[in-house]
Amino acid sequence: MLKIIFGDIENSIYHPPTYFDNQYEDEWITDPLSVEMVRDIDKSEVISAHLIESPVLGPISPKEISGGVKTLILMMFDDTGKIFNASSCGDNCAKWIVEIGKRKDLTINLHHVLDFSSADEFDALMLNTGRMIHGYREYFCEAMDIKER
Amino acid sequence: MKGKYHVIVQNKRLRYEFDIKRNITIIRGDSATGKTTLYSMIALAARLGDSSGVEVQCEKKCRVLEELDWKLVLQNLHDQIIFLDEDNLFLKTTDFAGMVKESDNYFVIITREDLANLPYSVEEIYGIHTAGKYHDMKQVYNKFYHIYGENHI
Repeated sequence: MLKIIFGDIENSIYHPPTYFDNQYEDEWITDPLSVEMVRDIDKSEVISAHLIESPVLGPISPKEISGGVKTLILMMFDDTGKIFNASSCGDNCAKWIVEIGKRKDLTINLHHVLDFSSADEFDALMLNTGRMIHGYREYFCEAMDIKER
Repeated sequence: MKGKYHVIVQNKRLRYEFDIKRNITIIRGDSATGKTTLYSMIALAARLGDSSGVEVQCEKKCRVLEELDWKLVLQNLHDQIIFLDEDNLFLKTTDFAGMVKESDNYFVIITREDLANLPYSVEEIYGIHTAGKYHDMKQVYNKFYHIYGENHI
């Protein structure tokens, strides 16, 4: 289930890409979900745990994938209980956040109104208000009323 | 500092070319569009100069500003274009907004957050668009586009 909390909170990693660079594990990179996210967002191919082929940058390490994908991989695989700032993610990551939320209990932190309109129907619990939202329209209306953002 | 400044940042693979028109410019947009790469190239060029292999062409000096001792550094910078990445927690503070207001520098800020303390125009919020290959077909050419509009600059 996806839970969303806006504003500054304890136990949140404000800049997940830096945390990722120092904490990621090799098997996270080669997991089929990561491979698919790297392909979709970065338009790149995971060759191995240590090598990604980017059409723009050429051969790169996992530390050079986009901040958005780094954040998504942390959301999926980090098991420390940390809450990651999804404002490091572009709107093109939104559908993957919804997907991860279907696979596990996921709480994300936001400092802006991420555009979930590209995601299919989704449900989420808005922790600032305690309200369950169903779909992008309800999410957007609820988010605009949350002053912590 | 007033007016418009043309900036080219390039290495063998990438070329960014854009104009900075006002004292505050915001860059946001989808993941994997090259925002952090642009920032890293400017940081490298500012730190290592020609040794970086990154070429920055601009009438004004371009540099980055980071979390550590940012106040001390910023109060000694004048007449420069300063790039800031989204990992800086001070971006939302009133202290930073106050120093920007008094500053004679231009600021280019990479962030998706609304910086309520800073007076920036919706006209100066850009994304980065890959416009294709450049010259020798090895270099990818990137331009800015208005997030809230269609015009490229």
